[in-house]
Amino acid sequence: MTAASPAVLVVDDEVDFGEVLTLRLREAGENALYARSGRDCLDLLQRQEVEVVILDVRMPDMDGIDTLQAIKQAHPWVEVILLTGHGTIETAVRGVKLGAYDLLIKPADFQELREKLNQARRRRQERIDRPGDTGAIPDPS
Amino acid sequence: MEQPTRPLTVLLVDDEPRFREILAKRLRHRGVSVEEAPGGEEALESMRREAKEVVVLDVKMPGLDGIETLRRLKTAHPECEVILLTGHASPQDGVEGIKAGAFDYLSKPVEFEHLLRKITQARNKIERLRAERREAEFREQIRRQMAVAERLAALGTLASGVAHEINNPLAVIQDSAGWLQQILEKPETADMPRREDFAQALARIQRAVGRARTITRQLLQAVHNPAGDSLETVHLREVSLPAIAEEALALVRREAADRGLALALEASDPPPLAWTDPALLLQVILNLLNNALQATDSGGRVTLRLGVKGEHAVLAVEDTGRGIPPEHLNRIFEPFFTTKEVGRGTGMGLYVSWAIMNRLQGGITVESREGRGATFTLTLPRKPPPTA
Repeated sequence: MTAASPAVLVVDDEVDFGEVLTLRLREAGENALYARSGRDCLDLLQRQEVEVVILDVRMPDMDGIDTLQAIKQAHPWVEVILLTGHGTIETAVRGVKLGAYDLLIKPADFQELREKLNQARRRRQERIDRPGDTGAIPDPS
Repeated sequence: MEQPTRPLTVLLVDDEPRFREILAKRLRHRGVSVEEAPGGEEALESMRREAKEVVVLDVKMPGLDGIETLRRLKTAHPECEVILLTGHASPQDGVEGIKAGAFDYLSKPVEFEHLLRKITQARNKIERLRAERREAEFREQIRRQMAVAERLAALGTLASGVAHEINNPLAVIQDSAGWLQQILEKPETADMPRREDFAQALARIQRAVGRARTITRQLLQAVHNPAGDSLETVHLREVSLPAIAEEALALVRREAADRGLALALEASDPPPLAWTDPALLLQVILNLLNNALQATDSGGRVTLRLGVKGEHAVLAVEDTGRGIPPEHLNRIFEPFFTTKEVGRGTGMGLYVSWAIMNRLQGGITVESREGRGATFTLTLPRKPPPTA
C-alpha cells in the first residue's frame, strides 16, 4: 500500500496512544492520520477521503458514540472500529447497532487490529458495489 | 446431627451392686440405655470407651470419691451432665458438687420417678446447649460468608476500576514497543549498533504487557455490576451436569495421566440437571479440576461428585492432595491471592470462579484440612426462577 491510498483515521484524546498507533499503522504501510477529538475527526473527514476510522469511546466533550453517529450521518461510507479500554457488552452492542463495524479492547493486539481494518475495508467496498445501497445505517433487527 | 428419638444414655456409678442393679433395671424398663460402673475409675474408663449423656454418681465411694470423679468427668467430657447421689447427704457436699459442675444433687433413698425426671431434665439441658451451639456456629458461618462476599464485591469493584485505568497506559506501552519492533524489522536498521539488545528488551516489554493484559481482562470478565460492566452475557438453559462433567474431565484427562492421578465421576441417579450457562460453568469446573490436579501428588485421586440438595444441584470437586492451610481458607477467593510463585499464577482463578457462580445465582464453598485434600462445592439452581 502506498501513501496515496485512502486514509485510516485514528481518533483518541490520549495523544501518546493516538500518535503511537498512527506511527505503527504508517510503519505497516497504511496512510494513517490522527485526530485528538471527535470534532477534529469530523473536520478532517470534510477535507480527506477516509475509509476507516479507529475511534476511542471515552473522550471528553464529544464521546465516541456521539462521534460515531455524526460520522455515519455525514459520511455513511466510512467504516468505524471502536477501540476502548472500557469494554462493556452494552457499549459494543450499542456501537454496532449505530453502524460500527466492530469493537476492540485496549490494549488490542496489533495484528488483530489490522485484520479488522482489512475486513472493514472489504465491507465498505461491498456496500459501495451493491446497487441501491445508500450507505445508511443497517437496521439492527 | 443427633436424632432426638435415640435412647437416652445413662451411666450409673455406685459401689453398692444391689442398689445399682435395681435402679439400672428400672431405668432400662423405661427405655433408658444404662451402663453400670462400681467406682470412679471404672466410670471414667466407661466414658472413655463411649460417652454417655447423663452420669448418676454416688458421692461416697471407696477409691476415687464422687466429687473428684465429677471433676475429672467434667474436664474430659464437658458435654455430659452429672447428678450426684448419696445416702449421707450433707449441705457441704451439695455445694461442692454444684460448684464442680453437677446438674443436681439428690439424697438417698431417692424416689425413682423423681430421679427419672432429673435425668430427663439433664438431658434436655444437653439438647438445648447443643442446639444453641449449632445455631451459634451456623450464625458465625453465615457471618463469615457474608463478610467474605462483601469484601470480594468491594475488592472486585476496586480492581475492575484499576483494570480499566491500567488498560490505557498499557496500550501506550504495548504500541510504543510494537512500533519500535516494526522499525527494527526494516532494512534501514539492519546494521544498527546493538540491534539485538533493543530487540530483546522490546520482546520483554511485550511479554510483560501480555501478562498485565491477561490480568486486566480476567478482572473485567469477573466483575459484573448492575451497570453491566461485563464482557460476556449469561445464557441460561437446562444443563445435564453429567454431560458437562464428562466434557470437563475429557479436557484434563491427559494432564491427570501425566501427573499419575486417578480421575473419577460419581453422579446421583437420576442424573442431576441445573439451570445454568454451560460455557461459564465449564470454565469454573475446569479451573477447580486444574487446581485439584496441581495440589495433588502422584498416586492421588480427583473426584467429581454430582448430586441434588433441595432446590439446588450440587457439584463437588474433591482431591486427596496437600490441602489448604486454615489461614488461607478465608482468603482464597480474593483477587490476586496466590501461593504459586510469581508469574505462575495470577491469583485470579478462584476469584473469577466465585464471580461466575454469583452471576449464575449459585455459590462456591471450600472445605479442606491440611494434608487431607480439599473439596470445592458448587451449588446451582435446578430450575429457572419463578417469573415475576
